[in-house]
Amino acid sequence: MGELHWGLPVIGYLFLAGMGAGAMTVSASVLLRGGGGFFGGQHFRIARYGALIAPLPLMAGTGMIVFELGTFQVGMREFDFSLLFRWINLFKTLNMSPMSIGSWVLGLCIMLSLVYAWTFLSAHARDDDTFRQLRNALAWVSIPLGIAVAVYTGILLGAMPSRPFWNSQILGLLFMLSALSTGVAGILFLYAFHRTEENNHAARHDAGYILAASDAILIGFELLVIFLFIMFAHLTVGDPAHAIAVILPGGSLAVLFWIGVVVFGLVVPALVELHHVLPRLLHQKPYLVKRWVEVAIGAMVLGGGLLLRYVIVVAGQVTGPVGI
Amino acid sequence: MSNPQPSTSRRAFVKSVAAGAAAAVGAGVTPGPVQAAVRAVQYAMVIDTRRCIGCHACSVACKAEFDVPLGETRSWVEYVEKGEYPNVSRHFLPRLCNHCSNPQCVNVCPTGATYKRAEDGIVVVDADVCIGCKYCIQACPYDVRYLHPDRGTVDKCDFCLHRVSQGLVPSCVNTCQGRARIFGDMNDPDSEVAKILATNPVTVLRQGMGTEPNVYYIAADHSDERDRRFDNHYVRVTTHRRAEERR
Ligand code: SF4
Ligand code: SF4
Repeated sequence: MGELHWGLPVIGYLFLAGMGAGAMTVSASVLLRGGGGFFGGQHFRIARYGALIAPLPLMAGTGMIVFELGTFQVGMREFDFSLLFRWINLFKTLNMSPMSIGSWVLGLCIMLSLVYAWTFLSAHARDDDTFRQLRNALAWVSIPLGIAVAVYTGILLGAMPSRPFWNSQILGLLFMLSALSTGVAGILFLYAFHRTEENNHAARHDAGYILAASDAILIGFELLVIFLFIMFAHLTVGDPAHAIAVILPGGSLAVLFWIGVVVFGLVVPALVELHHVLPRLLHQKPYLVKRWVEVAIGAMVLGGGLLLRYVIVVAGQVTGPVGI
Repeated sequence: MSNPQPSTSRRAFVKSVAAGAAAAVGAGVTPGPVQAAVRAVQYAMVIDTRRCIGCHACSVACKAEFDVPLGETRSWVEYVEKGEYPNVSRHFLPRLCNHCSNPQCVNVCPTGATYKRAEDGIVVVDADVCIGCKYCIQACPYDVRYLHPDRGTVDKCDFCLHRVSQGLVPSCVNTCQGRARIFGDMNDPDSEVAKILATNPVTVLRQGMGTEPNVYYIAADHSDERDRRFDNHYVRVTTHRRAEERR
């Protein structure tokens, strides 16, 4: 069993950065493509929630990861400022390391998300106000940059043959889907809290419907990618097959993974979403959902996303190549 | 060796080939390998495990040489025990950084703190640049890196660069009483390592990782207790490290 060189700060970072990037991407795509009436005129409001949420997890996650740096920890212990700010070295160079590219992309993403959020800041922000052009331009950049941050968290872990559990081509895709789904869940969560009875009924339901439906689709894809991730590792011989056993029945992380991530983090919220979405989709019935259900779905998807990062980060470090 | 610097430019290559061809024409013979013109120094170590008695003198010399903190190791000796009485064996496997030719640690380092020296192929960590992100610890398939608890930066074997640059051999090599560790420039055909490499069957650790290690073993026992092939055999590996299991 390996030592856990990367612990809670990295787990929290992978989750928060993914969620922030996901919320930003979702917000931008809703802003750019949602004006067609699907959101019952609510697309701007959803985009606004996404834009306002995004910088917070992005910055909090980045702040967390600094705590994992050896130099920062020693710097705190010894009050040594040169060590505390040693991470600046990340931005003195740019090389082909996934962490180097990721740091720059993440830095850009944070700055962009702040400006993008600023265009939405006013309570009177409207789709056709003076910021419109800037906001739309930023949204076009937000989508690729948000996806880049989400994918890179998977590449960061996946780049190493020495960590067979992580060394999978599909990990980046898994993290991207999870980022988008947790981004949607974050928006849904906030949206549910701000549901007021004064809201136009149909409109509100339209927005909730689209959010829940897209989250269910994303979770469906995520389950598919998890299936592929496990199957291909399991069907290989050697290191990947040995490593994946840690989350298969009998493995030390199996319960956490199957019950925590798959059942409560993905399957149950997706089923609840489908239960509410399908009547409207199939029978054109109105979309009705209680506030606490929306809050619970959001919380479960977010919790599942965090647990997924936990299981993957730990599993990669307690397994290794076999033989010497 | 007059020119130990590697040159990868096309012009240098063309020149060296042209020189070789000219020499061949001049001498009226077919050209031999055009070696010397572009040959870098690559320090390497051969560990002849048949000569290792598991005394840990190298581990101790290394700890003393670098004041390695308690609980951490730059170089260590593993014991591999196998079999049921009376068919049993015990082998020793001295370990250190492999100064790989395709070092994963270098590929992932975001700051450039870890790099492979062009002049001698030694992989080093610049402790003034390293931020302690531990990416390289994750990426090294041999688990030879550790976070220095007092500095917060990563540390590992550097083939005793301070000694080697003065023409001495690394401290572990110097102290090995069985002469199990042999050190030198493997690209110099007259060096002892080059001769041993040419005349012995050698292996490297975890060849499948693609890191192209420059530490070679003679008669190493590659058994691992986690290898399922050995499920029905007694295999025990003692690492003599804080991390009691191999990663
Ligand atoms: S053994 Fe590990 S630390 Fe040493 S050069 Fe190879 S990958 Fe890097
Ligand atoms: S811990 Fe230091 S040497 Fe290792 S990858 Fe990070 S910056 Fe580079």
